[in-house]
Amino acid sequence: MATLPPQQDEGHHSLLPFLQSQSHTTLTRLYQRPSSCLSIFRLLRPVEKQLIMNLLWLESAIDAAKMAAWVTRENKKAYDDALHALVRVHVVPAPKDGKLALNQTFKSSFRQALTGGGTSGSFGVIFDNGEKRLPFTIEELDSYALERWETILHYMVSSGSDQKPTKPSQGVLYLLERRKLMSKFYGDTLQITSAGFQFLLHTPHAQLWDLLLQYLHMAEERQMDLVEVLGFLFMLSTMELGKEYATDHLSETQKAMLEDLRDYGLILQKKPSARRFSPTRLATTLTSSSPPLPTSAGTSSGPQEGFIVLETNYRLYAYTDNPLQTAVLNLFVSLKYRFPNLVVGSITRDSVKKALLNGITADQMISYLTTHAHPQMRKNNPLIPVTVQDQIRLWELEKNRLRSDEGYLYTSFASQADYDYVLKYAKELGVVLWESPMKRCFFGSMTGHANIRGFIERRTNANGA
Amino acid sequence: MNDPRGDHLSVVVDLSPTQWHLSALQPPANVYPLPLSSFLSQLLAFLNSHMACKHENTLAVFGALPGKSVMLYSSTNPAKNLQVMDSNSYPPFKLVDTTVVTRTAEELDALGDPDEEEPLGLVGAMTKALCYINRITLPPAQIPGKKQGISNSLVMPEPRILVLSVSPDHATSYIPIMNSIFSAQKLKVTIDVCQLYGPETVFLQQAAHLTGGSYIHLERRDALLQYLIMSFLPPPSIRKVLSVPTQDKIDFRAACFCHKTIVDVGFVCSVCLSIFCQPVPVCSTCRTKFPIKTLQRLNASRPPPNATNTTRTTTGTPVPQSASNPTTPALTQPTSTNGSSVHRPAQARSSLSQQSSM
Amino acid sequence: MPPRRDAEYMDVDSDSDISLPDDDYDGSRAKGKGRSKTGERKSEKGKGKAKDNQAYTWEASYARSWDTVQEDEAGSLQTSVEELLARGRRRRLLAPAAAVRRTIIRHLILLLDLSSSMMDRDMRPTRFDLMLQYAREFIVEWFDQNPLGQIGIVGMRAGLGEKIGHMSGNPQDVLKAISERHKLEPVGEPSLQNAIEMAKSTMSHLPTHSSREILVVFGSLTTCDPGNIHDTLDTCVKNKIRISVVALAAEMKICREMCDKTGGQFGVAMNEGHFKDLLFELVPPPAQRASRAAGAGATNPAADLMMMGFPTRLPDASPQSFCVCHNELKSEGYLCPRCQAKICDIPTDCDICGLMIVSSPHLARSYHHLFPVKPYEIVAASEALSERATECHACSRPFPLTPAASATEGMSPVGRYRCPECHNEFCSECDVFIHDVVHCCPGCGK
Repeated sequence: MATLPPQQDEGHHSLLPFLQSQSHTTLTRLYQRPSSCLSIFRLLRPVEKQLIMNLLWLESAIDAAKMAAWVTRENKKAYDDALHALVRVHVVPAPKDGKLALNQTFKSSFRQALTGGGTSGSFGVIFDNGEKRLPFTIEELDSYALERWETILHYMVSSGSDQKPTKPSQGVLYLLERRKLMSKFYGDTLQITSAGFQFLLHTPHAQLWDLLLQYLHMAEERQMDLVEVLGFLFMLSTMELGKEYATDHLSETQKAMLEDLRDYGLILQKKPSARRFSPTRLATTLTSSSPPLPTSAGTSSGPQEGFIVLETNYRLYAYTDNPLQTAVLNLFVSLKYRFPNLVVGSITRDSVKKALLNGITADQMISYLTTHAHPQMRKNNPLIPVTVQDQIRLWELEKNRLRSDEGYLYTSFASQADYDYVLKYAKELGVVLWESPMKRCFFGSMTGHANIRGFIERRTNANGA
Repeated sequence: MNDPRGDHLSVVVDLSPTQWHLSALQPPANVYPLPLSSFLSQLLAFLNSHMACKHENTLAVFGALPGKSVMLYSSTNPAKNLQVMDSNSYPPFKLVDTTVVTRTAEELDALGDPDEEEPLGLVGAMTKALCYINRITLPPAQIPGKKQGISNSLVMPEPRILVLSVSPDHATSYIPIMNSIFSAQKLKVTIDVCQLYGPETVFLQQAAHLTGGSYIHLERRDALLQYLIMSFLPPPSIRKVLSVPTQDKIDFRAACFCHKTIVDVGFVCSVCLSIFCQPVPVCSTCRTKFPIKTLQRLNASRPPPNATNTTRTTTGTPVPQSASNPTTPALTQPTSTNGSSVHRPAQARSSLSQQSSM
Repeated sequence: MPPRRDAEYMDVDSDSDISLPDDDYDGSRAKGKGRSKTGERKSEKGKGKAKDNQAYTWEASYARSWDTVQEDEAGSLQTSVEELLARGRRRRLLAPAAAVRRTIIRHLILLLDLSSSMMDRDMRPTRFDLMLQYAREFIVEWFDQNPLGQIGIVGMRAGLGEKIGHMSGNPQDVLKAISERHKLEPVGEPSLQNAIEMAKSTMSHLPTHSSREILVVFGSLTTCDPGNIHDTLDTCVKNKIRISVVALAAEMKICREMCDKTGGQFGVAMNEGHFKDLLFELVPPPAQRASRAAGAGATNPAADLMMMGFPTRLPDASPQSFCVCHNELKSEGYLCPRCQAKICDIPTDCDICGLMIVSSPHLARSYHHLFPVKPYEIVAASEALSERATECHACSRPFPLTPAASATEGMSPVGRYRCPECHNEFCSECDVFIHDVVHCCPGCGK
């Protein structure tokens, strides 16, 4: 496997690099559970999924050439990429003698996932409700997940200000700090970092996986069994919203995880010692791309789709009363008025500068505005007014006006001919960063110095001789 | 993962009891016998594979039964009364499996044991599938009442229909099938066809060709699932990378209404577009008389009879209709003729003559 | 419909089965419902004109398009949407229920006004740009519904008729003809007579069984003719050319007369949307009236037997050869059954032997005009709900359980519509979809 280039593919889920870094045995143990196979399958890209499907029901290995015959010529690369990606997560063993087949463990577990049956119990054991008491309603679960998640985000966003929002639990704070989303700058209080600001503008789905990945890394350090941890997350993702599951069949590691997951809002339990739990929407949509929170905007009160109207005159109207959204907007918009359901502000040079200083990029701002645009805005093409888009980018460029390079200034040439001759040589090397024929000097980068110097010396020697 | 929208797949299953009985016969009748039960289990695995590909994928299953068509399963209104308690299977899969199996059994039992099977409701099932796709692709603003969840607000990008057929073409269903094909084209719906048993169906072949789908006549019927997964599982975007088989030869020739002869050059009534293999003085469908002059001109320019370009159909059964009692405008070669097909032309003719008597 | 007609009218009269929308377009205006019936329209032609005068933009008070859409008490637009649906239903119910004979093989000359009056900005962005845009949409839709038809394009510019696109059955060719805007820049006065003469001569060679139609989009209020336009009109009547006019400015007597005498439709566009509606009403093939009272068996001069060829499609992998239409080397194509010439696209006339070449799906595309689905009946609230189906027979959408309090005319209060043949019930969306797109009832399968 070492021969494979460690390339980062486009469109890959953020979990896959982590899986790729795991050993063969770990993954094979993970593939023993049908639910894990199904979840990992869903994280793959479409072509990879189809490849797995094509191989899944074959009893014997197939010629790699035979499979490649189905690939259209212009998309050969996409196919090769897909195959490499599958080999790296050990779903497909490296082709031997030109034969392709699925990993035996993966194949049998995934078949079981599709057809049902088996005795693994990997999709969670539903708590048999002897009493007639109903489990939580879906609304209750949603509001709980939302409340938990927004607490975390809100704590981050207002950490710099004087507001004192409710603190998330200690475990969450530790996670945020380890992920370097927040850090202790002065004394004991946690402050949001530039990575943290960027984090806030991501979609809830990306945020969730970001934190869970950190959790997985920490689990390794805490000597938890990674297969148990991952398996539990995947099991959660295949569970049904609104059902209650029993904790009896969970391993010790998984029981220990319950507390952490409760803090993140992935599951809900009546009391910490309860023998059952209900997954929330955050958990059940882990492997899908549908919004993990009840409303895609991540608010309880905002409208379903988008809430931001942006005009060409840089004015921004946000139909929301959600403090978190207002706070996020406040990162790069200077807010003017607040009404019960509307916030008005404008994008100014200062507000964007402030955001840039915090480490937020122009693209992140624009993509945030795009994803949260009001349905009314979606009729426009392009969606975000071009003037505003360009101006935000220009402001970003403004910040990067100066570029520093190390190098040498070559000056006081004896004659114009000398200057031209050396400059021509330097240009051939491609090391000239700046030149001024008027002043008869130029600036060359560090890398070219040795050559240029040698060249000048040879020339002076030749002239002198 | 990048596209937040799921794909929609509507499956139309041909549940004709007679054809399935024939299909299940042991060798020598069939090289690879395929009974309904084993077909269903492979179908379920295929349906689950579709659902597995993406959390957001949606599914609807329609059954075509003799004389009627039913919806067996749809992911927007699944049967609520089924409580699934099984820790060994993914709840949505279990739900699909149970619903499809129970509903199929119910419908087949309800058929009873009639002496003669009514014509298959394949057209009904296909139009239902189209109506259903039309419904789920409608913008949510038109859905009154409460918010219906997030999935409704997303337009399905690539809706598809997969027809799993075991019955031969039915001459009377030509016009409705063509109409469904054209509306599928309008909705940008791809129709895939898998003919599991019996002869090739020309109508469905055209359906697949005109909507950009693929048509497969199953030969190795023991490998049904592999065929289904390799050819019909990938959505159109994947088919650009991993190509799927398409047919290269499509019959665009037409059969004349008078003798069911496949013709290369035919004579068409300008009023009702009926096709004749030789110049006739009166259109037998709409009773229009043609000018004598045209007849003479056409007779003169006509290609010599018995030339190689007019051939008899290979239909085994003799065609029951005479020239004076034409069938509906069945343009392509009908592979079977059925006694009940006589009803429609009579209606069509009477309505036309009514109109012309005004 | 009684076969009465005046001698001056064309022998083969044809009319659309769709009502002119200028009377029921604006909900607030008094409805001339009777006028929608085609027969009555003729009889009260004289009176009808006076009423039509209300339809002009300058006489109406300033139209606020946002006023026509009304919110209900809850602030939703649901009722307005329903109102629009109901209007569509009513219109369909007015259509003759019996099978009608329609002209399937159509020839249409699109006569575009390219005079300076087209630069007026009363329609956004200009009349000219709007006309081009709608003309493109019209052509696409027209070919979709009339796969065997052909369209040619003639412009009226600087007092002359100008041939812009030849008669062609290929939508791409026709679209290409009007694709270059700068070549069509409006200038000068229009001349109706010159343009119609040109259109007429383009169609003179056509066989009798095909329809000949001229569709004029007219923005000017004047016409600058070299001779007597009434003579031209008379020859059009004689040649059975049907002229329809969509006027963008106002009604002109000569335009109205042309349409009435040749059996075409006349309409004045009140706004952008109405302009489009008027154009698109001419898309479905016009119904043909039976010519004589003699009934079945009468010789219909418009009917004819046509010779058509059904080609073989060459597979994509066949050896390359030259096509007769573009002289290009290609592998795919169709072979003319009579002369074995290779043709790129169908339907067309073979360039070598002149045989009309079609494929069977092309013919089939026209069948739904000949065998339409019967309109569904409205299920009244009073009918017992208990034993009926609880969901739409086609799409399985559950029906509302309680009848709507206020149902507009033509809408079912319980949201159910029943097929008269198979007695299955459908929801209003499926009703519209089945009649407008599918043309096939899911219950009875025909």
